[in-house]
Amino acid sequence: MSTSTTEKFIPAKRYNTIAVALMVIGVIAAISLFVTTGGEGNHDNRARFWASLLQNSVYFLLVVNAAMFFMCATTLAWGGWQIGFTRVTEAIASCVPVIGVIALAILLALCFGDHHTIYHWTDAEHVAHDPVLEHKSGFLSKGFFAIVTVLTVVLWSFLGWKMRQLSLKTDEGDIVSTLERKKKFVWNNTVMAALYIVVFALTVMSSIPWLWVMSIDAHWYSTMFSWYNFASTFVAGLSLIALYVVFLKNNGYLPSVNKEHLHDLGKFIFAFSIFWTYLWFAQFMLIWYANIPEETIYFKPRAEGIYSAIFWMMLIINFVAPLLIFMSKDSKRNYTIVTVVSVLVIFGHWLDYFQMVFPAVSPDKVPMILFDMGIGLGFIGIIMYVTGKTLSKYPLTARNHPFVKEAVIHHT
Amino acid sequence: MSLNRYESQVREPLVEGSKDYHQITEDICRPVEATPSKLWWVGFIISVGLLIFGVVSIYMDVTYGIGQWNLNKTVGWGWDITNFVWWVGIGHAGTLISAILLLFRQGWRTGVNRAAEAMTIFAVMCAGQFPIWHMGRVWNAFFVAPYPNTRGPLWVNFNSPLLWDVFAISTYFTVSLLFWYCGLLPDLASLRDRAKLKWRKFFYGVASFGWTGSTKHWQRHEALSLVLAGLATPLVLSVHTIVSFDFATSVIPGWHTTIFPPYFVAGAVFSGFAMVQTLLLITRKVLNLEEYITMEHIDVMNKVIVLTGSIVGIAYLTELFIAWYSHVEYEWFAFRENRVNLNSPYGWAYYLMMGCNVLSPQIFWFRKMRRNLLVTFFMSILVNIGMWFERFVIIVTSIYRDYLPSSWSTYYTPTIWEIGFYMGTFGLFFTCYFLFSKFFPVIAMAEIKHILKRSGDSFKENMEKDENETLESFEHANAHH
Repeated sequence: MSTSTTEKFIPAKRYNTIAVALMVIGVIAAISLFVTTGGEGNHDNRARFWASLLQNSVYFLLVVNAAMFFMCATTLAWGGWQIGFTRVTEAIASCVPVIGVIALAILLALCFGDHHTIYHWTDAEHVAHDPVLEHKSGFLSKGFFAIVTVLTVVLWSFLGWKMRQLSLKTDEGDIVSTLERKKKFVWNNTVMAALYIVVFALTVMSSIPWLWVMSIDAHWYSTMFSWYNFASTFVAGLSLIALYVVFLKNNGYLPSVNKEHLHDLGKFIFAFSIFWTYLWFAQFMLIWYANIPEETIYFKPRAEGIYSAIFWMMLIINFVAPLLIFMSKDSKRNYTIVTVVSVLVIFGHWLDYFQMVFPAVSPDKVPMILFDMGIGLGFIGIIMYVTGKTLSKYPLTARNHPFVKEAVIHHT
Repeated sequence: MSLNRYESQVREPLVEGSKDYHQITEDICRPVEATPSKLWWVGFIISVGLLIFGVVSIYMDVTYGIGQWNLNKTVGWGWDITNFVWWVGIGHAGTLISAILLLFRQGWRTGVNRAAEAMTIFAVMCAGQFPIWHMGRVWNAFFVAPYPNTRGPLWVNFNSPLLWDVFAISTYFTVSLLFWYCGLLPDLASLRDRAKLKWRKFFYGVASFGWTGSTKHWQRHEALSLVLAGLATPLVLSVHTIVSFDFATSVIPGWHTTIFPPYFVAGAVFSGFAMVQTLLLITRKVLNLEEYITMEHIDVMNKVIVLTGSIVGIAYLTELFIAWYSHVEYEWFAFRENRVNLNSPYGWAYYLMMGCNVLSPQIFWFRKMRRNLLVTFFMSILVNIGMWFERFVIIVTSIYRDYLPSSWSTYYTPTIWEIGFYMGTFGLFFTCYFLFSKFFPVIAMAEIKHILKRSGDSFKENMEKDENETLESFEHANAHH
């Protein structure tokens, strides 16, 4: 045990094989989708391909970015318990630049490429004949979209890198050797986290979901939309952290982390699943109750149309399942159950994004979801690969962090 | 060193002045056992005076009808509902502190939870007055209770969020009261055991329900607290959510917006914390409790204020943006002409709201400001002014210009009886708070003792050894696997 807190993660051969295999599956799925949706002048079909890339890249980017949010929010709140596995959170957050670049490429391609069937507002001719879109063109414009998107990905990546650098510095022990230095460190960390939270408020909590997702249904609007997107990806991000904690524990790593920590992660997943449902309900119910056609049009194909099976199933997976399964204390402390719920939640919110993106792109028929799942697996492969790489570079325990001892004795 | 007796020295102590268990009991019981000071009497008499003003105003309202208020053909809701929402909002901090922060294991809640919970209960009592007296024929108030009745098929409207309010608030009130009282039991028993006067012994004896402090009692007490915390947590969110539904389910421009529920909750927590600051800054000074309600407590609460204020700010801007983005001309008109336009009749109220709720709390990004008592006090008042105007802006600026421009000329200002009613609730609130601070311990003694050995200053100083130990030997000594 004496050496284990300095131990690094050594990915088993199988781990990397699976990661690469998943990436290959993703590429194959993408290529086959591209090929099957091809054909001359087949604009709508090509949109189906791009929509899949959009759904997956945006979803997984927001999920790994949620790890970053978790890190910064707990830093600002001066949390202690999560320091036990902070390197896991950091490693997941290190996927932000990688998936960020992929998402950036896709989003910019959608914006500047000739794919108006997803973002109608990029088509100048179409906008000229649509007074609503013309009105919005100050916001829904290619230039603005590109600048905000690039800036967002750069800022998230940069601040994530800064946070990780700060955390790594503690390993040498020098900057936290005295009480004064510890205070200074916590202060610096807090400042960086605060900066990120401000950026987060201006991106995930407001502009980014409007631009990336809501603008697919370019006429429709809901003030709740961005907060809803936040809740969705935050639960999924928490689940991803929980999955990695269980995985590392099962492989004998993370000696200072135990069921107490897992229990609290489980509580977070439980609580934020309910929070997500709360936002879901508030948005849905208010639109249903007021019954204004401009607003209900969004839910028509989803709640009642051909997408209804996915729509209601996703509600069961994201609400009923975590609520019932995670209600009891024992289930949140059980590695297997936590794994099952985490996988369910990540899948459930992936479905949520599926039903946010596709009804506008493919209104007449629900596309073959297996392709999208394949591409999703590819993204999971990337997350596995990058997270594994980062985990293997640095010790798994932030052993000199000022709050690490609180994590050691943490008792839920 | 046992498990729960270590915390990082980076954290500031939450109990100052090298206290031991006995000293804590002494300090906190003292104000209850001593005769009230002159200052207490002055405050109490002013409060009762205000309360009487309120009673007279309500008398006028009941005798002569709602016509005593200045409501007009478009502004059917004015001060009355504004005050209602304002007080309900204030009533959020207490249960948030006691329930959600209990679940989050925030040690600092112990210094402030008792007073916050008490003020929650009083605030909800004040809030409840407004819908009750707004009924006009208040003797028919029991009509809102859905029970099989002899009035034929006359039922309450289950589709109405106003009715949901009745359920939500009464449930919230019940659970908050239980929570508060359940926490009081051990402290009331301490007062009983220390009592020298007969009536005192009797009073606290009855009030403490025969608490003996046995292990079994403690075990049940803790279990009950956790259950109530679990119940209260969704309630904190549900109450203001449903209050927001009063507006958001309608199709009135400026009211129908999906972000209302979470944004109302954030705003409620925001104003609730501001009120807690106002009260505690005075309480700690008057009752000499600075060692229990420390600068650290004030600092942390100011952080909550800047956080919730900014959340509210994001919501304001989101609303404004989507009003434009939606391309719904009525919605955009309500924002552009009735709110943002400074030259419109109520434009000033919108900017007052923005200034108080969004801009001014940003000063709490600075630690120096968070720890400045004067600034904190000033800000706590400012925030509650801002939050009152938030409700006023939402309510009045959305309805004073309806779809019929010929009705627009009517500018709504309250009558003396509307103002009197509002002042009366201040009277009720502070009368209750003064009585509470006289007869009950304003700080949860038992809970402070819980964190003493971890967060008390003299104990923290002795943590040097743990602090400097290597992680390995610390783990070896303390970790449980």
